[in-house]
Amino acid sequence: MNDNILDIQNLNVHFSTFDGLFSAVNNVSLALKKNESIGIIGESGCGKSTLSFSIMGYLAKNAQVDGSILFKGEELLGKSEKELEPYRGNRIAMVFQNPYSSLNPSLTIGFQLDEVSMHHQKLSKKEARAATLQALEMMNLGDAKGIVRRYPHQISGGIQQRICIAMALLCKPDLLILDEPTTALDVTTEAVILESISKLKESLNMSLIYISHDIGVINKVAQQIVVMYNGEIVEQGPKKEIFENPKHPYTRALINCMPRGGVVKEKTKLNTIAGYVKRRGANEGGCPFSDRCEKKNEVCEGQYGIKEVSPRHLAACDRAYATDIPDVFAAKLAPLKRQERKQEEEQENLLQIKDLHKVYGTRRKVYAVNGVEFAVKPHSVLGIVGESGCGKSTTGHMISGLYKPSKGNILFRDTDISLSWNKRDKETLKNIQLIFQNPGRSLNPSHTVERIIGRAMQKLANITDEKERRARIIEILKKVDLGVEYLQKKPSQLSGGEQQRVAIARALSISPSLIVCDEPTSALDVSVQASVLNLLNDLQIDTHVAYVFISHDLNVINYLCDYIMVMYAGKIVEYGKRDEVMENLHHPYTEALLSAVPEVDPTKQKKPVDLQGQLPDPAKKIQGCPFAGRCHKQLGSICEKEFPPMVQLSDDHYYYCHIKK
Amino acid sequence: MNRSAQMMLRRLGSLIATLVVMSFIIFLLVEIMPGDVAQMILGQSATEEAVAALRQARGLDDPLLQRYGRWVKGVLVGDLGESVYMQGVAINSILWRRVGHSLVLAFTAFIMFVPLSIFLGVLAGVKEKKPADSVISFFGLATMALPEFVSGVILITIFAVQLNWFPIVSVIPIGQTLFQNLDILVLPALSITFVMFGYVSRMQRSSMIGVMNSDYIRSAILKGMPRKYVIFRHALKNALLPTITIIGMNMGWLFGGLIVVETLFGFPGMGSLLMTAIKTRDVPLIEACVLLITIIYSLSTMITDILYSYLNPRIRFQGGQR
Amino acid sequence: MKYFLYQLKKNPLAIVGIAIIVFWLFAAFIGPSMMSFTHTQIDADHQMARPGTNGHLLGTDSLGRDILSRIVYGSRSILTVALLTSIFSTIIGILLGFSAGYFGQKIDALFLRTMDILMAIPPLVLSMVVLGILGDSSILSLTIIVSIAFVPATARVSRGVLLTEKSQEYVMAARIRGESHLYIMFIEILPNTTGPIIVEATARFAYSIMMVASLGFLGVGLQPPTPDWGMMVIENKPIIDQAPWTVLFPALAIASLVIAISIFSDFVSKVLVHER
Repeated sequence: MNDNILDIQNLNVHFSTFDGLFSAVNNVSLALKKNESIGIIGESGCGKSTLSFSIMGYLAKNAQVDGSILFKGEELLGKSEKELEPYRGNRIAMVFQNPYSSLNPSLTIGFQLDEVSMHHQKLSKKEARAATLQALEMMNLGDAKGIVRRYPHQISGGIQQRICIAMALLCKPDLLILDEPTTALDVTTEAVILESISKLKESLNMSLIYISHDIGVINKVAQQIVVMYNGEIVEQGPKKEIFENPKHPYTRALINCMPRGGVVKEKTKLNTIAGYVKRRGANEGGCPFSDRCEKKNEVCEGQYGIKEVSPRHLAACDRAYATDIPDVFAAKLAPLKRQERKQEEEQENLLQIKDLHKVYGTRRKVYAVNGVEFAVKPHSVLGIVGESGCGKSTTGHMISGLYKPSKGNILFRDTDISLSWNKRDKETLKNIQLIFQNPGRSLNPSHTVERIIGRAMQKLANITDEKERRARIIEILKKVDLGVEYLQKKPSQLSGGEQQRVAIARALSISPSLIVCDEPTSALDVSVQASVLNLLNDLQIDTHVAYVFISHDLNVINYLCDYIMVMYAGKIVEYGKRDEVMENLHHPYTEALLSAVPEVDPTKQKKPVDLQGQLPDPAKKIQGCPFAGRCHKQLGSICEKEFPPMVQLSDDHYYYCHIKK
Repeated sequence: MNRSAQMMLRRLGSLIATLVVMSFIIFLLVEIMPGDVAQMILGQSATEEAVAALRQARGLDDPLLQRYGRWVKGVLVGDLGESVYMQGVAINSILWRRVGHSLVLAFTAFIMFVPLSIFLGVLAGVKEKKPADSVISFFGLATMALPEFVSGVILITIFAVQLNWFPIVSVIPIGQTLFQNLDILVLPALSITFVMFGYVSRMQRSSMIGVMNSDYIRSAILKGMPRKYVIFRHALKNALLPTITIIGMNMGWLFGGLIVVETLFGFPGMGSLLMTAIKTRDVPLIEACVLLITIIYSLSTMITDILYSYLNPRIRFQGGQR
Repeated sequence: MKYFLYQLKKNPLAIVGIAIIVFWLFAAFIGPSMMSFTHTQIDADHQMARPGTNGHLLGTDSLGRDILSRIVYGSRSILTVALLTSIFSTIIGILLGFSAGYFGQKIDALFLRTMDILMAIPPLVLSMVVLGILGDSSILSLTIIVSIAFVPATARVSRGVLLTEKSQEYVMAARIRGESHLYIMFIEILPNTTGPIIVEATARFAYSIMMVASLGFLGVGLQPPTPDWGMMVIENKPIIDQAPWTVLFPALAIASLVIAISIFSDFVSKVLVHER
């Protein structure tokens, strides 16, 4: 009798659809010991969510399952809904990605928590309520008594997720499954929650399965990492080994796709993976990764299969560092020779933002941007980073003309362009373009690629001759690595990465001077993100276009940007050259932000700054420093009353704080 | 509760504004109707002078706005004028009894279709794609655009002509009241019920399916709550809420149906009165009936809105921090 | 298209629905030429005749007119008006709903207010009163008035779809290309709204039949000699106990058409929902 909490053997999950039978989970075997925590990492389509739902016994009606899932020795597969009830929420609990939609909008928080203990542990209403309050306090939620009386819509996202976790822990389950629980949250909120989770795991003696696409997050809560690809486990092992010594080519490639501290565009390109994930038919065998693998040779298919390569480290293939096929990308990220860019000492700023404000609404106001001032140098990449509600997207929208500023000026090469799009002249429109977060929605689903790219040329670059236009479109498609066959395709026929490339081609087709990139890679898988970042970088070197790159992901900003601007609650808190901002932390918020970013390297764990409280209410104008009240280095009431002065560290590095150095 | 008091006032205000505009439009439309009112009262053989004199006496030659003003003043004091066709009988004496009858008929139809549609709609949603759902869905689909007189005629043929369970014509014998003849309500109410059932049950079904597929129901199930409990305690509240709006929005069809059904069955209600008024070009009566229908309909819509705001926690308890 | 046929196979009911619609279209176009009697021809010796007598497959009414012929002749007018109404109200709905949704603010507020007022009277009441006042109803007047009564519904759907699409990033991309408002509304957005609009239009077709038949029943539809199914029901209602077939057959004709279109509309929505 082993003491495995969970024992999955040869699990297969197939779905029958209009297009046939396809395989979501293929021959997966996984064992989880008591108190062990594992992280399952994979990109979209790898089957990680399907796997977790199989454990809970919650799959769609068109699913066909076979294999075995043993929980503490008992077979879960084949049990009816009624038979599974005593397990769910009680011995095995699950937390989902979106806390708001996971809570019933018509029931109070208290009710939704009480019912769990009342049902599973047969507690009375009073006892259940006491247990609920205790669980909420365990998650560091002060005012638990107030929360239980409220409805979900009256509570913010970070607190909602903590409530969902508390709900899962009420019956002290043996196994807790978390499916991307912090993906929808800000990085600082995420850091706090991850801390709570790892503490609780210890104190409650639970086993944990943490699913994510972000290896840094998994590093904070799990010891073992399981890498999934296209429905199969390709590698699993201790996190340090997976990071330092991956065996499977996919694992190695995946880790090298991830931007992190120290990985910058001047030194290296990001690793990418050619091709994209295709759905697997139900009866396909063999290596799922072979059509995309760099290390494929004639004999590897025959040797494919999970083997133990070192203690507790299993891999389906050990050719990650095989030498018979040379590496395209360096194993460790070795310095890359880059063409030196012509140092154009243009004094004139491309874009100058003066005292920019944006206020929404008439009766109930929202102060989105509260006076920002900065400049964008030509041919440079400015990264604007911040969490939700900081105003970065709004600022980007004002630059591109989608919103009209409430106050302030935007100067493009000394011309005031603080107008909305329908009032801007053609020249300005041609010069400032935009790339959006969601590539699927930024391309018109009813138009072909040719039309999508060509229209901009027709409208803004006056290329009216159809033949000439087509030739140019083909040229641009080549620049973004897409062939002629893409001309007549519609967006729904393209993968996410391809869609984003088309969007980039569209923006570039008219040779703008500035492109605002609004979280262009946030909706993409890690490997796709890497290829898009490489592309953006290459294009920037090629065409000398400038970028205003907006993101919440500091690792991405660190990779691509020359300058960084940190925003908080509608104001700039720090601005400077990338290296200076990232290494010599000056503003407390920047410090907190950087400490919260999860580390890809498991040996480099940092203690995040514990930020309490929440963002200030956007409906009110802020008097003093926007970060007052949450700042871990707050001086005193001066921070709340007076807006901090600018502390200028050099020509292009400054921040706003009362603390004197 | 200051905010909701404000909302209430605003709604009331817009209701009144709507009524004013609507009444003016009705007045306008009716007044430009071809045919001389005075001529109709006096008959074909009347002399031109007599007609002109009558027009003068009734102020029919006055400017439009003045006539409108007079009418509104009358309405506000409860004087709806006199019927032309019925030779000067005060409208008030004939209208209100009919209104009462129609309300009873509407109420009967209401208590027939509301519980039935909701129950069957929920049932179909919960048992999606199973036989019960197929049957209920089909019925809903078939009846949702079925004119009330069509179902009425079929009902009459079966239940009145062949089986003789109910009277063919729904009239009240002179000297008796409605309440002494409740059987005349059944077939008319049933005819209206068919159409309303079609629409409401389908909406209820899709609302229920939507709720059952939501993330929060998934959470409830994966918390180990039993299925029946999940349906009744978690799903139902959320699925029923939109139905209130749907029923409110479809009151219009209910009123339209009343007219058709009253005409078919000869039921002495407001609808058949309006029919008569139109046929006989009885201008004041038309204006009065339409005005009344509009008021009742607008009121019912407003009540629906208020009910919805009260029952929806997201609206009732504001102060949502994001 | 392939998916359409695939779903069709799974849905025998939809096949029946489509067959019935095709049957009535056939009846409207070619039917009259195949009838042995005209819709006004009076067979004086066989009044209120039972179905089957003297070559009258569905019997005769109180005047001796052949019911089958009257139904077949009547199919033309009811289909014409209903079809025109659904198309017309959909188009107006798109124009109004799109403008309101796209331009927002004042125009939207004006739109919503106007719709509120229009909706203050139930559609049947409105149509009935206006048509009754105007007197003689023609295909044109019926179409226009019923369309106006339906506009709040169709416009609401159009506005809703437009609002959904307006917030999509491809619309923003079009804006920063400096596209004109008309271009964005009709070349960018419209092609992506065809699904819900088509579903609404087919449902509207069913409701149009319902409305036209009801108006005919109330006596304000197309006037004789054009046979109107609704009118046939009301004029024969007094003899329903003696000659139920005179009322039943027109009623069943209406029922069959309405149910068939409803089934078809439901099927269309199933197919189009998947396409997204």
